[in-house]
Amino acid sequence: MSISKKQKRKRLEDVIGAIYSIAIYTILYVPVFVMMIFSFNNQRYNYYWNGFTTQWYSKLFTNSAVIGSLWYSLVIAVLATVISVAIGTIGALGLKKYEFRGKKFVNNMLYIPIIVPEIVMAVALLIIFMKIGLALGMGTILIGHCTFCIPYAVVTIKGRISGDGYSLEEASMDLGANRIQTFINVTLPSIMPGVMSAAFLSFTLSIDDVVMSNMLAGAKNSTLPVLILSMNKSGITPDVNALTTIMILVIVIAMVLNNIIKYALKKRNKAEATI
Amino acid sequence: MNKKNIFKRKTLPALAMAGPVSLWMILFVALPMLYIIYISFMSRGVFGDVVYKFSLESYGTLLDSTYFKVIVKSINAALKTTVLCLLIGYPFAYYIAKKPKEVASRLIMLIMIPFWTNSLMRLNSWLLLFQTSGPVNQFLQSTGFINAPMSFVYTDGLVMVGMITTMLPFAVLPMYSSIEKLSKSLLEASADLGASRRTTFFRITLPLTFPGIFSSIILVFIPSLGIYTVTDMLGGGKVLYIGNIIKNQFGAIRNWPLGAALSVLLIVITGMLIYIYTRFAKIEDMEVV
Amino acid sequence: MKKVISILLTMVLIMGLFTGCTGTKAGSTVDSSNAAPSTELNIYMWQQYISDDLIAKFEEENKVKVNLSYMSDNADAITKLTAGGGQEYDLIMTCDAYMESLVKGGYVEKINFENIPNASNINESYWTAKEYCVPYLMNYIYIIYNKDTSPVEIKSYNDLINPALKGQIASIDGARNLFPIALVALGYDPNSTNESEIAEAYEWLVKYNQNVVAYGNAEQNLTNGTASVAFTYDGNASWAMSELGEKNNLVIADFEKDPVQLGFDLYVVPKGAKHVDLAEKFLNYITDPKVMAANLVEYPYSCPNDAAVEAASDTYKNDPARDFDYKKNVFFQKDVGEAITIYNDYYQKLKVGE
Repeated sequence: MSISKKQKRKRLEDVIGAIYSIAIYTILYVPVFVMMIFSFNNQRYNYYWNGFTTQWYSKLFTNSAVIGSLWYSLVIAVLATVISVAIGTIGALGLKKYEFRGKKFVNNMLYIPIIVPEIVMAVALLIIFMKIGLALGMGTILIGHCTFCIPYAVVTIKGRISGDGYSLEEASMDLGANRIQTFINVTLPSIMPGVMSAAFLSFTLSIDDVVMSNMLAGAKNSTLPVLILSMNKSGITPDVNALTTIMILVIVIAMVLNNIIKYALKKRNKAEATI
Repeated sequence: MNKKNIFKRKTLPALAMAGPVSLWMILFVALPMLYIIYISFMSRGVFGDVVYKFSLESYGTLLDSTYFKVIVKSINAALKTTVLCLLIGYPFAYYIAKKPKEVASRLIMLIMIPFWTNSLMRLNSWLLLFQTSGPVNQFLQSTGFINAPMSFVYTDGLVMVGMITTMLPFAVLPMYSSIEKLSKSLLEASADLGASRRTTFFRITLPLTFPGIFSSIILVFIPSLGIYTVTDMLGGGKVLYIGNIIKNQFGAIRNWPLGAALSVLLIVITGMLIYIYTRFAKIEDMEVV
Repeated sequence: MKKVISILLTMVLIMGLFTGCTGTKAGSTVDSSNAAPSTELNIYMWQQYISDDLIAKFEEENKVKVNLSYMSDNADAITKLTAGGGQEYDLIMTCDAYMESLVKGGYVEKINFENIPNASNINESYWTAKEYCVPYLMNYIYIIYNKDTSPVEIKSYNDLINPALKGQIASIDGARNLFPIALVALGYDPNSTNESEIAEAYEWLVKYNQNVVAYGNAEQNLTNGTASVAFTYDGNASWAMSELGEKNNLVIADFEKDPVQLGFDLYVVPKGAKHVDLAEKFLNYITDPKVMAANLVEYPYSCPNDAAVEAASDTYKNDPARDFDYKKNVFFQKDVGEAITIYNDYYQKLKVGE
C-alpha cells in the first residue's frame, strides 16, 4: 500500500519538476528564439519587424569579418577552457589537500577576479602588458580570459569536493597505483560533474566576454562580442543574428547526432552481449 | 635522503597541483591589483590617465554622498537578484541532479547554450519583444487585455528579468554539482528512520548542499554588483549602479585613479560582506575565505 | 611576519620598476624612412562608418591589406591613443573636442600634407588643429520628433523640459552632449567652465531626465513608438526617416535661435605609428571627392569635404534629415581642460538620481 503511494508521489514530483524546468528553459530561450526570428528581418538594422528575407544568410558567406571573428572567439574559448579547467581542477584539489605558505593568500586572490569589475582587471593587465612590451593579440586576450575563468572553475569544483574524504585515493594507492594513476582513474571520475560544470562555465564566460577582449585586443582581429559591441551604437545588423542562428543549429544537430550515436552503440553492445 | 623523500612525497605533489594556480594568481591577479591600489593613490592626468604623483584626491571624492547612494542601490539590486536566482535555481538544480548522469549533462548543456549566443543580442531581444510596437504589446492588444500599448521596456521589472536570465546558470551550476553528490542512501536512511520529506529536506539535503549554495551566492551576488550591460540596455541607461560608475571612470568619464579607488572600495565592502556572512553562517570548510 | 614584509618590499620594488621605465621598452622607435613600403594598414574607427567596398578597392589598388578594428565609445580611442596606440594602429579616429589635449600631450604625429593633396577639398572652417588631423565626417546633433504623436511642437531646447513630454524623449548620452544644450537653454556658453553655470545646467538636466525614457538607441525608440522625440545625430535621423519610408512623419525641430552642436570625427596618426606612408595614402584616398561621394551613399552623414558633397548623389543632397534652415547656427565642442571633472561629477549625480 505504502509503495504505490510513494510511487504516486514520485510521479507527481517528476511531473511538477518537469513542468517547472520547462518553464525555466522557456524563459531562458525566449530571447534566443526572438533573435533567430529576427535574423530574417527585412531591415538594415533590427529596429522592428519589417518583413521576411533570407538575404542576411547569403550576406554571411561574403562577409568574412563576422565569421572570422566567430572563429577567433571559438579558438580562444576552447583554449581558455582547457587551460582554466586544467589549472583550476588540480588547483582546487591541491588547495584543499595541502597546506603551504601563502595558501590563504592564494585563496583570497582567487576571489579578486570575481569581485573586481572586469574593466578594472582589464585595464590593469593592459598597462602591465604595455610596460613589459608584450604585443596585444590572441595571447593577451587568452591570459585575460583565463584570469577570470580559473577562479570560477576553482569555486565550482570546491563546491563539489567540499567534505570529501581521501579514503578512496588512499585505498587506490595502497593497492599500488601511483599518484597520477590515482588521479586519473579515481579522483577525476568522481568529481567529473564538477569538472564538467567548470568547463561549461569557463567556455561560456570566454565566448561571451567583451570587456577583456576589447581592452586586450590587437589590431588584426576582434572577437565576435567585441564586434557586436561596436555595432551597438548604430544598430546590430541581422547578419549577426543569422550567424548566431546557424551556431545554435550546429550545436543542436551535434547534440542530436551524439545521442543517436550513443543510442546505436548501446543497442549494438546489448545485442553483442546476448550473443 | 630523508629530505629528498619528503620533497618527493609532500612538496612535489603540492607544487604540481597548487603551483600553477598560485603562480597564475600572483602574476595576473596580485600584481595587477597591486598596481590598481597603487594608482588609486596617484593623481589624474589631463586625459584621466595616471600621473605618478601621490594624491589622496580619489579617496576624498569617494566621501561624496553620491557614491554612498550608488553603493546602497547596487547592493540592494544584487541582493534581490541573488535571492531570486537561488529560489528559482535550487529546485531546478535539484530536478536535474536527480536525473541519470548523461541526461543531467545534456540538461546542463541546454542551460548554457543560450549563453553561447551573445549577451548583448539576447538583451536586445528582450527589447524587441517588449517594445511598444513589439509582439507582446500587439498580442495583448489584439486579445483585448489592454487598450493602449504598455511600456514594459526600460522598467525595473525588465531589468530584473534581464539580470536573472543572465545570472541563473551561475546559480544553478554550483548547486547542481553539490546536490548531485548527495548520497541516495542518506536520503533513504532518513526516510526509513521516519523523517517526513520536509524534515529530510531541511535537515539533511539543505545543510549538505550548503557549499554549493554558498558558491552560487558568491558567483551571483558579486558579479551582480559589478555588471553594467543589463542596466545599460534594458534600463535605458537611466540608472547607474556601481559597475557603471567604475566602467565610466575607465571609459567616458576618464578618471583612472578614481576608478581604481572605487574598485578598492568595492573589494573592501565585498570582503566585509563575505566575512560577516561566513561568521554568521558558521562555515568551517571555507578556506575560500 | 618578516616573510610578509620581505614579500611586500619586493613587490613595491617591482612597482617602482614599472613606473620608472615608462614605455621605453614598449616601443621600438619608429623609423619613418622605411626602406620597404608598408603592406599593411591598421585603422581604429567606428563600426559601420566606412564602406567595405571602398576599403576593398583601396586594398586592390595598392596591393595592401587593411585591418579595421572598431571602437564602441570615444573613450576607447582615447585609451588607445594614450596607451601606446602607435604600436598597434596607424590611424585612429577621434573627435575634435580632444584635439587640443592630444596635441599638447604629444600623442599624435604631425601629418605631412604634401602627400595628401586631396585634403584641400575639406572646408577650412571645419578644421581644428590643422596639422594633426584629417576630418572625415561630421554630425549635427539636433532634435527630431514625430509630428503626429508628440504632444509639444519643439522650437527650442527649453521645450524639452516641458512636463507634457514626460517619458517621451529618447536621447543620446554623454556629458558633453547633454550639458551644452542645457547651457544654451539657460543662455550660457555651451563650453562654459564656470561651476555655477554648470550647476544650473545640472538642474535643467534633472528636469530633462524626467522626460527621457531611455538614453541610447534614440532613433530606434523613435521609430518603434517608444518615444515621440529624439535628441540624436543627423546620420541616425536619416536612417530613421528612410526606414519609415512613406510613413515618415518625423520632422526636424525648427529652432528659432538655439544653435545645435556640430561635431567632427577625424583621423589622427598616433605617435609611433608604423605605417605612416600607407596612412597618408589612405587619407588622400578618402578625401578624394569621388571616393567620399560613394561612401556617402551607404553612410549618409554630413561631410566636411565640400567637393565630395558636390559630387554626391541627389538622394544624399535631398536627404530630409539634413533639410533644416539653421545649419550655420552651430557651436563646436571645445576642450574645457580641467573643468571636465566638474561636468563629470554633475553628470554622475544626474544619473545616480535620488
